[in-house]
Amino acid sequence: MEPDIKQTKILCVEDEHFISELYNRALTKAGYDVKTVLDGVEALKEAQTDEYDIILLDIMLPNMTGLDILDKLRNPAEPQIKAKIIIATNLEQSEENRLAVEEKADAYVVKAEMTPRQLVEFLDQFKTA
Amino acid sequence: MDHFKKLKNQIQIPIALSISATAAVVIGGQLAIEALDISPLIGAAAVLVVVLILAILLSDFAAKKALIPVKTIWEAVLHIDPDHHTTAAPNLTSLKVGRELVTSIVLQVYQFASQENGKDLIEHRKQVIQAANIVSHMPLPLFVFNKSLIVTNASNSALEYTGVSSSDLFGKSLFDTLKLEFSDDHTLDAWVIACQENKVTDTAYWERVHVLSKENDSVIRQCDISAYYNRDNASGAEFIVTLFDRTARYSLEDDQLSFVSMAVHELRTPITMLRGYIEVIDEELKDKLDDEMKQFVVKMGIAAKNLSSFVSNILNVARIDHNQLSLHLIEKPWKETLSESITDAELRAKIRGKNIQLTIDENLPTVAVDQVSIYEVLNNLLENAIKYSGESKDIIVKSGLNKDGLVETTVQDFGAGIPTSVLPYLFEKFSRNHRTRASVSGTGLGLYLSKAIITAHGGQIWASSKEGEGSTFGFTLQPYTNMASELEGTQNKEITRNAHGWIKNHSLYRR
Repeated sequence: MEPDIKQTKILCVEDEHFISELYNRALTKAGYDVKTVLDGVEALKEAQTDEYDIILLDIMLPNMTGLDILDKLRNPAEPQIKAKIIIATNLEQSEENRLAVEEKADAYVVKAEMTPRQLVEFLDQFKTA
Repeated sequence: MDHFKKLKNQIQIPIALSISATAAVVIGGQLAIEALDISPLIGAAAVLVVVLILAILLSDFAAKKALIPVKTIWEAVLHIDPDHHTTAAPNLTSLKVGRELVTSIVLQVYQFASQENGKDLIEHRKQVIQAANIVSHMPLPLFVFNKSLIVTNASNSALEYTGVSSSDLFGKSLFDTLKLEFSDDHTLDAWVIACQENKVTDTAYWERVHVLSKENDSVIRQCDISAYYNRDNASGAEFIVTLFDRTARYSLEDDQLSFVSMAVHELRTPITMLRGYIEVIDEELKDKLDDEMKQFVVKMGIAAKNLSSFVSNILNVARIDHNQLSLHLIEKPWKETLSESITDAELRAKIRGKNIQLTIDENLPTVAVDQVSIYEVLNNLLENAIKYSGESKDIIVKSGLNKDGLVETTVQDFGAGIPTSVLPYLFEKFSRNHRTRASVSGTGLGLYLSKAIITAHGGQIWASSKEGEGSTFGFTLQPYTNMASELEGTQNKEITRNAHGWIKNHSLYRR
């Protein structure tokens, strides 16, 4: 395992317990430092600590949607965080949402189109891109 | 006024020539008297006689010429007079003096005559009142407007439907009162302009037009629109526009689409889990399973992946069917996009022992593409070539400019080919080759989607095949320069298109 992979901290925001478990397992196994969060408000609070390199962000979340979190984190009036944000969702978006995501997020994946291992491969590429 | 000027010039020339000829005779006479040494008295008398004869002849010629237009108009008036029914119609084609002016006056004469018909003015007035009544009580929203686009008549249901009062509508431009939103640049006002520029009469039809609230631009109704144009219509009804309310139907369709969207989301969650757990079993129990069980796990993985593609395709098909598949076309070097896609496919091809050979012409122009969608098309065609190439090894991809100046890309395999009975239906929904159905997995939606995507790019897709020799799938894309005119006057570097048409930018077409 390369040392830089071990240092990469990921905040995995995913409210489906089974999916969260699968992602946590695969990412940890690949050497990432993973923190999982199931709730929208808690996710925003955690992201604002600015301790993460990558945030994997679902859209359908309890208490606050992923799009609202994305808006807040990328709001120029708010303190900026270093993390790159990947929207990982199964929700097909309306045209307006698609444009907002394209503008503010660093990447977008449909969860059902990827296995956890493919997600790890994607993150490995994303990190070096 | 130009016609008057032309007529004046035409008459002025013979008069000027007559005066000049007379003056020439006077001067010539005087010179002759001096040269021949004739008595001035006799000479003056002779000149006077010649001038008189000349003046009579020339003025007769000029007057006849000048009166031709009046005579022609008089003939037209006599022609429509019931007491002079033997008078022939004036011959406008042989007219040389004042032709334009006379033609337009004569046409007016005939138009008045056809309106009044000389006999039954009351009957005519009755007809006018009846027409106004029909418009007013027409059970459809109907607007009539003149060449200045001022609304001259409208049905009561038009007022009711659009929620405007008659004082807000009559005497004003339709576009000041009615806010409409079209799904592409074939809009009502664009059609009106085109008609006024180069049409005499025309009809047009629009589907899924949004009627917007005047206050906040929200969609209050959805309708289809039918319109009729008649240049210089005698009654002033230059444009007639009818709205057909489709709010209920289109809203239901939109609801169905949002149902499909939600169903797709709900289906994807368990699919994500299934694929995740299958992968864990595959990776971690591999060594503990016998070969048969290992095969079962691989098959489970493939089945779950296919299910995931199928679910995504269902949503895309629903979008196409509801005309809501939007593409964002941007300028891209085709070589770059195609190579990226091939690199991805090569990995999958190698696993199955296939070899993709790529030939791209140098100096291809940049193309206008939606990255995500075009990638899906390439992926689809390459995946099909890999799946259906049977025992053969090679897959050939070529790209170059075709004779129409479009960028053409073909994917050729040397597999079993497609039976001629299946070929015509290949791009239809759920079309599958029955001979390979059992051995090759697929959803039967890939080519249907590819066709919709390529069509929305302004290109064409096709397939050719020979059984036992293989198949070739090809498509064309527009060079970016062909699209450049669509971007003129906009701030955007993108063009938004959808499956059944295309839009530059949503906000641009909000009235």
